[in-house]
Amino acid sequence: MEDTAKKITTKKEFFKQYKKKSRLQEIWKMFLKNKLAVIGLIIFIIIVLVAITAPLIANYDNEAIKINVPNRLKSPNSEHILGTDELGRDIFARIVHGSRISLIVGLSSVAVALFIGGAFGAIAGFFGGTVDNIIMRCMDVFLCLPDVLLALAILAAFGTNLVNMTIAIGLSFTPKFSRVVRSAVMTVRGIEYVEAARAIGATNVQIITKHILINCIGPIIVQVTLYVASAILTISSLSFIGLGIQAPIPEWGNMLASGRAFMRDHAYIVMAPGLAIFITILSLNLLGDGLRDALDPRLKQ
Amino acid sequence: MDIKKVNIEGNTLEIRNLVIEYVSDDEVVKAVNNVNIIIGSGKTLGLVGETGAGKTTTALSILNLVPGPQGKIVSGEVLLEGKNVLTMSEHELEELRGDKVAMIFQDPMTSLNPVLTVGDQIAEGLEIHRKISKKEALKQAKEMLELVGIPADRAGEYPYQFSGGMKQRVVIAIALACSPDLLIADEPTTALDVTIQAQVLLLINKLKKKYHMSMLMITHDLGIVAEVCDEVSVVYAGHIIEHGTLEDIFDNLRHPYTKGLFDALPNIEARRSELKPIKGLMPDPTNLPSGCPFHPRCDYVMDVCTKVLPENKWLSDTHRVQCHLYKDTNNSML
Repeated sequence: MEDTAKKITTKKEFFKQYKKKSRLQEIWKMFLKNKLAVIGLIIFIIIVLVAITAPLIANYDNEAIKINVPNRLKSPNSEHILGTDELGRDIFARIVHGSRISLIVGLSSVAVALFIGGAFGAIAGFFGGTVDNIIMRCMDVFLCLPDVLLALAILAAFGTNLVNMTIAIGLSFTPKFSRVVRSAVMTVRGIEYVEAARAIGATNVQIITKHILINCIGPIIVQVTLYVASAILTISSLSFIGLGIQAPIPEWGNMLASGRAFMRDHAYIVMAPGLAIFITILSLNLLGDGLRDALDPRLKQ
Repeated sequence: MDIKKVNIEGNTLEIRNLVIEYVSDDEVVKAVNNVNIIIGSGKTLGLVGETGAGKTTTALSILNLVPGPQGKIVSGEVLLEGKNVLTMSEHELEELRGDKVAMIFQDPMTSLNPVLTVGDQIAEGLEIHRKISKKEALKQAKEMLELVGIPADRAGEYPYQFSGGMKQRVVIAIALACSPDLLIADEPTTALDVTIQAQVLLLINKLKKKYHMSMLMITHDLGIVAEVCDEVSVVYAGHIIEHGTLEDIFDNLRHPYTKGLFDALPNIEARRSELKPIKGLMPDPTNLPSGCPFHPRCDYVMDVCTKVLPENKWLSDTHRVQCHLYKDTNNSML
């Protein structure tokens, strides 16, 4: 008798514990089930840590910037694990320092795009009709221009520096985010709980922020991770054609550009920055997919 | 118009001559045609009819939530305690919705937000209308949960952790959180199985009495009407073709369509008798038949039915019918 009673209380406590678990914990649990996503997250964390601790890993002035001609075009060896480039600089040090620019500009330009594009997209999707038409036709005009071209135009007009580059890439991604957010909002807008929210007297602002956007988080998160990857690629492309990060400063794109003349004999020069771009983008895509699955409560159990 | 009942003080809801159309590029759907509804304080009216008869559109007009821009309220008045809802500003409407009038939606699976806890969702209305802190609202939300028979400590859970019947209880708790004067229940049990239906109806009945609410119950289930309602309006193609007290409709029905509805119900005492379906289909609402909208399906059709829309005939103080079979006296041709 006593035993069963005890069992029941422990069982109760067990369920209580289970129920007390916060939503974040549950998302985390779901996320951990997806092995590929965890790998993506680990790689991304490593990249972020490398970017943060770059000065500790390699000396910026001596190894990444200083020209050392006698030491040029050395294949990977114990001193230079990724070899040296055409001016004798250590490629590993340049990759490590290059990650900082890629991450900062990649993340902040997507933040710009998400904020502006998301706001316009949410308004267009929620209100529909004329408002939608006006906003989306303006976005279509921007969408007509290839994003690199749009970014190029902005950079050419205002000069190349980090802030301009962030804004340029952010603006060129804005129409894409507005499209994604708009379509996500439009699918959610028609669901009954939005009508229910209106029926209890919620205002438009409350409905958009509290009921609609939070239900669009899945597609938005996925887009963010994909476009951070895409932004990193754009930075590299811009640097590659010479309008992004300028010469001595290490950046993956301009490393590719300067190394391509020596590609035939010294493939490692372009391989290293290429792989760095590839791994970063892969990790972000894996992470994005995992987050999408974990954030969708409908996929649970 | 031909409504004999004049405005009696204390009516919670009065809908007068309401006409609603859905206008698209090349056609006009006449969803609601000249509907008159009166719900007295504390009374329950059942709105019965087939799918597409205009029941939900009528209900949405009470909150002025007829989906625009296609939905147009062409004419009529919706008076809530004497104030016309249709002329209110957006701000006034927001204050009214959820506070004075609340709605229970048809499908609890989709009418709850999947990413908010049920506690938050019940508290939302309280926060908006009572202007209380989130903490206080959550406390009251938990009380509401207890009221509908769900343990308060489940307030922190998400809708997917609840069964269908419990979700509908949550929806009811949301609707009742601000103790509204008028509760609109739009087929509240359609998505539930029969045993849960019974529980939910019992709950609604109990709470209705407790808070002395008026209620508009929309349903196509005559069993539910018998269970909950004081009065019944039968809707066909946007017209109220028969209206009366529960006794008028169930024991003394007059309109051929109402008769058809009851004939289509299985009878537990005469198990061998066949069900008699109403022949034909609902008319196309973009192209309603001339005269009485029911005449193509009616067994008692006369010449006049195809030409003239019948007027309301009062058979008694409570019972009115829209049919050419009847003159203003209480004759019984059916």
